[in-house]
Amino acid sequence: MFGSVSKVFRQRAFFSRAVNEETQALKNVSLEVAAGEVLGLLGPNGSGKSTTLKLISTVLLPDDGRVIVAGFDTRSHGQQVRRCVGFALASERSFFPRLTARENLEFFAALEDVPRCDCSDRVESALQQVAMCDAADKQVMKFSSGMHQRLGIARALLKKPSVLLLDEPSRSLDLATSSQLRELIQELSDGGIAILLATHNFAEAAEVCDRVAVLQKGSLIATSRACSLSDRQLREFYLTLMGEQNLIAWNEEVPA
Amino acid sequence: MIFHKAAVVMKKDILTSLRYRSGLVFNLVSVALQLATFYYLARAVGPQFRPDGMPYVMFLIVGTGLYTFLIANIHSFLQTIQQAQQGGTLEVLMMTSTPPAELLFLSALSSFAGNSVQFVLYVGAGMLLFAPAVKLNAVGGAAVMVLSLLIAAAIGLIAAGLQISIHKGSAVLWLLGSCAWLMAGTLFPVNALPKPLQVLSNLLPFTHSLTGMRLALFEADSTALLREIGLLLLFSLVLLPVGLVFFTWTVRRARQCGTLSFY
Repeated sequence: MFGSVSKVFRQRAFFSRAVNEETQALKNVSLEVAAGEVLGLLGPNGSGKSTTLKLISTVLLPDDGRVIVAGFDTRSHGQQVRRCVGFALASERSFFPRLTARENLEFFAALEDVPRCDCSDRVESALQQVAMCDAADKQVMKFSSGMHQRLGIARALLKKPSVLLLDEPSRSLDLATSSQLRELIQELSDGGIAILLATHNFAEAAEVCDRVAVLQKGSLIATSRACSLSDRQLREFYLTLMGEQNLIAWNEEVPA
Repeated sequence: MIFHKAAVVMKKDILTSLRYRSGLVFNLVSVALQLATFYYLARAVGPQFRPDGMPYVMFLIVGTGLYTFLIANIHSFLQTIQQAQQGGTLEVLMMTSTPPAELLFLSALSSFAGNSVQFVLYVGAGMLLFAPAVKLNAVGGAAVMVLSLLIAAAIGLIAAGLQISIHKGSAVLWLLGSCAWLMAGTLFPVNALPKPLQVLSNLLPFTHSLTGMRLALFEADSTALLREIGLLLLFSLVLLPVGLVFFTWTVRRARQCGTLSFY
């Protein structure tokens, strides 16, 4: 649950109180995601999608408001929150490049308190879920962007999270893998996992999300049920909210 | 669980080192070169110079060996953070179920083990080659080593915290290392310094680590050794909680400011 959350990034020197630059990343945003629900976060670049995910994962702490995950406040019970949140980052640079995919996952599984006896099975199962068994013993530095992306999702699944955060998960994936990913998201939500999906892809949002939330300049401007909408209808909904100019800019950046 | 985590972290570091083979070879060569340097330096100074009653070459080897060991251990904390920042893994590591301070200790573990092996080889090789009259106090030596490690860990936590907050932990470590190099009795006895610097030298934990280790290796006087161990214990009791609190505070502050991955 996200209750009236605000986040401001202030640039200042370590020993000084004077602020050089201030960016309002989120303004009074309130959201709630139930177990087994998939919530899509839509919005142009810089609208606050990744900040929202980072606040839930405790990489960031809110300035105002509260972020409650599985009953725990991220401010006071960060460790408990981290135990139940899996986060697949959009960044490719989050693995040890000289280690293989399996070695990387074994390392992160241990840090996630996966019991030693379950470690191999958990890693194997995560690799299977993202269809990466063939590349498991390849060094990560030889991976393509799409493979990094899938490995990031596998890592997020290692701890069997109750909340899964996906930041543009299909960004570098080919059509077949994207489709597999959507099936996986559906399967995970059917299993009771609450999923937040930041995406620029209307088709993906329309296919897997139960609801979508549209963010603009850090404010939540609308939420809507998405399961009954086609990607075209979702696109029109977005267009109405953001204005045509924003949609053109959007289409130029990422093909939906 | 903690042993499993430690084993996995060590495995990751060993595999990474083995896959950067050239770095490993350079490291071994540099140790051999260092030993040779001190042997020839001591020969040039001559056998009549016996600081603290021991051959100068052994004074140098224990001094520089332990100094390097402590600085390398402090640096391993800093390096863990720097590498994670530059490699893009810091945010991911800080999102795992392992608390940040525990994670830092675990990540520094293989460096600690490597540095310990290097220190024992370095001093052991020095003793074998230059065969001085050793009066080893094993318990005292182990106590000095363990307490010095705890102090190094505490300073390492502070350096790592500074790296997260001001992104310049290495500059602070460089300053501390230079002060210790001058004042801790690494290359020459502390009593060669002017009085005010001798007072400052006594405030450095490194000075007591070096003195304690030399006493444990070459002197039978256990009263002086006990005094050094007592001082090292005091330093570790003060510095460890300070290091832990400071590091935890800087991580929390970075989460608040959104600067966790900045470098």
